[in-house]
Formats: sequence, structure tokens, C-alpha cells
Amino acid sequence: MDTQVLYNIVHQGAFGLNIAIYFYLTGLSAGSFILSTLAYGFGMKQFKPIGRVGIILATLLLIIAPFFLLIHIGMPFRAWHLFVYLNWSSPITWGSFLLLLYPINCIVYGYFMFKENLRLTRVFALIGIPLAVSVHGYTGFILAFGKARPLWNTALMPLLFLVSAVVSGIALMIIVYMIKSRFFSREKKINRELVFSLSKLLAWVIVFDLFLVGCDLIVLSISHSDAQAVAHLILQGKYSLMFLLIENFLGKIVPFFLLVVPRFRTLTTVTVASILVVIGIFFMRYVVVVAGEFLPLL
Amino acid sequence: MRNEKKRYAMLIDLRKCIGCNACTVACKSENNVPLGVWRSWVKKVEKGRYPDSQEFFLPIVCNNCEKPICVTVCPVNASIKRPDGIVYIDPHRCIGCRYCMAACPYGVRYVHPTMKIVEKCSWCHHRVDAGLKPACVLACPTGAILFGDMNETQSEIARAIAKNPVQVIKPEIGTSPHTFYIALDSATVEAKQGEEE
Repeated sequence: MDTQVLYNIVHQGAFGLNIAIYFYLTGLSAGSFILSTLAYGFGMKQFKPIGRVGIILATLLLIIAPFFLLIHIGMPFRAWHLFVYLNWSSPITWGSFLLLLYPINCIVYGYFMFKENLRLTRVFALIGIPLAVSVHGYTGFILAFGKARPLWNTALMPLLFLVSAVVSGIALMIIVYMIKSRFFSREKKINRELVFSLSKLLAWVIVFDLFLVGCDLIVLSISHSDAQAVAHLILQGKYSLMFLLIENFLGKIVPFFLLVVPRFRTLTTVTVASILVVIGIFFMRYVVVVAGEFLPLL
Repeated sequence: MRNEKKRYAMLIDLRKCIGCNACTVACKSENNVPLGVWRSWVKKVEKGRYPDSQEFFLPIVCNNCEKPICVTVCPVNASIKRPDGIVYIDPHRCIGCRYCMAACPYGVRYVHPTMKIVEKCSWCHHRVDAGLKPACVLACPTGAILFGDMNETQSEIARAIAKNPVQVIKPEIGTSPHTFYIALDSATVEAKQGEEE
């Protein structure tokens, strides 16, 4: 049957680039924090050199991130309403407190780390892990609560966000660590063993991320009609280039092979792979946020 | 069983709708809705191929759901569901985060172009509180829109809902909408802009 819409109203999208950037930055921050706790929270000695880089990155990124929220909201001078009129069923209310507690914890943790107080560093690392997980996990819930958007409304969303946060966090850490030790350290020498153990970790987290994305896609493409429509949008429609080529092929599959094939194991390939991953995850955030709300509801 | 609690509802009889947009105009005028955004509108869909075709109209207003997802997700309690079922936005409370717009399954919310807060149809709750009907109900020339307390068994709308097969838009979402339609056509609801099958 031919049906054709002659007239309808579709209002502007709710979220957009600002929210995608915000999710990206909190993801990078949470990933960096978790990496820095590997040495200072769990005593994995080989990761000690990235502890300080990690906490500085985590703090800086999380101080920048909320500004994108302030740009996004229509009434930034009413942002204090978030702390006064509480609605505990809203993920944004959870988030407004997490965005307050997490950077404070980051700063305290970093302070003790630089003071070489290892016992207190460990305490704040262990407090920080649930905070870091929730500060990024809650953004997954923000999208998962979007009932009518099949790309968002999945229980996988918080986990998917956390895993991609760890992916992007490791990749950014590799880049920053290499720049730092190549140009700004006393020895001007990169600890190859550390870089390669990080890159191995990165490769396997990428596999897990691909697995989750695959699960999501398989269920989307056989689910109800709206879900099929959005699966079509990201696989064959307007966002297919971003989703398939940039996010998954260049951002995950290519880096995976660059990282695991022993023949390619050089610092250059690790750098290239990490840069691809960092770009790929940005497009992941963008596709999830923008493609998720692209289709009209009525 | 008699229910003492008030529960406002709206019933739109699509058999009577002629697609004249009087409700849209009345709504714009009553609520000072700015240019470029709408609190209510009439979706028009053509089914079939000319000359064997027919236009279908679907007036859309806020569903004032029984389980409104906008109220669940609003971080500052600016979207409020009143005991009588009307869901409205407190313009002094809203911070314009647009989360409700992202979560609403019906796309009836918009950002006010200059005030930058979110607004939507609230069945003209200022008029209802004054004992009047919503503007669209009064404007409708064919009387296709009914409004009233569906828990009061003798009211016009309660009788109409009881005696007719009624549907809601997207019942599967589980928000329990309270804008009911008579003769709702699923193809009209599901037809998307720029999409021909």
C-alpha cells in the first residue's frame, strides 16, 4: 500500500554534537582513571609510569566535560536547580552529583599520588573506581531511558559505554604516554614493554567492544519496526559510512590487527592504531547520540 | 466501580476530523506558541495511489500519559503530573536540558526559540482550572474533539469512551496515553516523512 506523509511536524533534535562530545570526554576520563588505578589501586607495578599521566588526564577531561553540558542546556544560569529540585528517578540527577564527587575524588587521589602517600592513594583509588564507573555508566542510562529510541533503549547501553570508555581511555593513554616520555621526560626514551602490554590490553578490549556492538545490531535488526528502521539507518542509510567504515572498520578492526599481528609490532603501528581508536570512539558517540534520535517518532 | 478521583482525558473522533487545522490555529493563539514550533498539529497522510486514494488526518496533542516518561526523566521536577492527570511544565523550573524531548515517544515537545525552555501541550491547563475547555476543543468545527473527566461516569467523554472502540498512539511503549482516538489508522501513525513503501 502506498502511504505518503503530506504534512507533519518534526521538532528539532533533543541532543546533538555537544552531548556526544560530553559523553566522549567523560568516557576518556573514566578510562584514564581506571588505568591509573591499575598501578596505584591494584599494585600492578608495570603500569606505574602511567599512573600520574592517567590521573592528570582524568581530572582535566572531567573538568572540561561539564562545560559542554552548560552550552547545551537552554538556561545555564538555572543549573543550580539540579542540586535543589531533585528527582531521583532521573539519570541526570544522579549525574549532577557524580560530576561533583568524581572530580573532587580525582584531585584528592592525584594529590596523594604526587605526595607519594601510597596508602591513601590506594584508598582513594578504590573509592574512585565505582565513581568512575558510574560517572560514565550513568550516561549510558541517560540514553537507555529514551524509551522510544530503539538504538538507545537497550540494557546493553551502559555496558557498551563503559567498554568503549576503556577502549578510548587506553588508546589516549598510549598516545599521551608516548608523547610525554619521548619529548618531556628526562631519559627521552619510551618504555616499550609498557606500551606493548597496554596495546595488548587494548586489542582485547576492542574485541569485547565489537562483540557488544554485534549483539546490539543483531537484536536491533530483528526487533520491532522502529528498531529495524534504525538498524537500516546505521547499516545502509545516512550514518552507515560513519558507523561501519569509521567507527567499526577504521576504529576497531584495523587497530585490532595492527595491535595483535606480531609482524606489525612497532611503536609507529601502535601509535597509528591508538589514534584510529580515539577517532573511532568519537564517531561511536556521535553515531549513537545523533543517529539514535534521527528518525521521526510520528 | 465508581472512582472519585478526577482523571482528565481527551477523545478525538477521527471519523469526524476534516483536517481543517482550526485546532492548530486556536492552540497557537491561546498559548502564544512561537513561529516554527507547534503544541498541536494535524498530521496528514495519503493512502493509496491517486485517484484511488484517501487523505487521513491525525490531530496530535500531548498524550498526558498516566505513566509519563518525561516526568520520570526530568532532573529538576519541571515536568509535573497533576493528580487529575494533566502533565505540564513549570516554566520557572525548567533548565532546558531537553532530556524530556529525547525521552518523549510522541515528539510533542519543543524548545521555545527565545526562552530556551521546553514547552508542550498541557490540555490548556490554565483554561481547565478556570472551568473552560481546551482551546482546540472549542475551535473544532465538527466537534471531533471531546475533553473531560473520564472517571465521572455521566460525562460526555466517559460515555463516548465506553461506547466506542478507542485506541491510543503507540500503546506498546507503556506510557498509558490518555488522548484516545476513534478510528485510529496504524498506517497513518507509522508513516514517516520522506518514506514511501
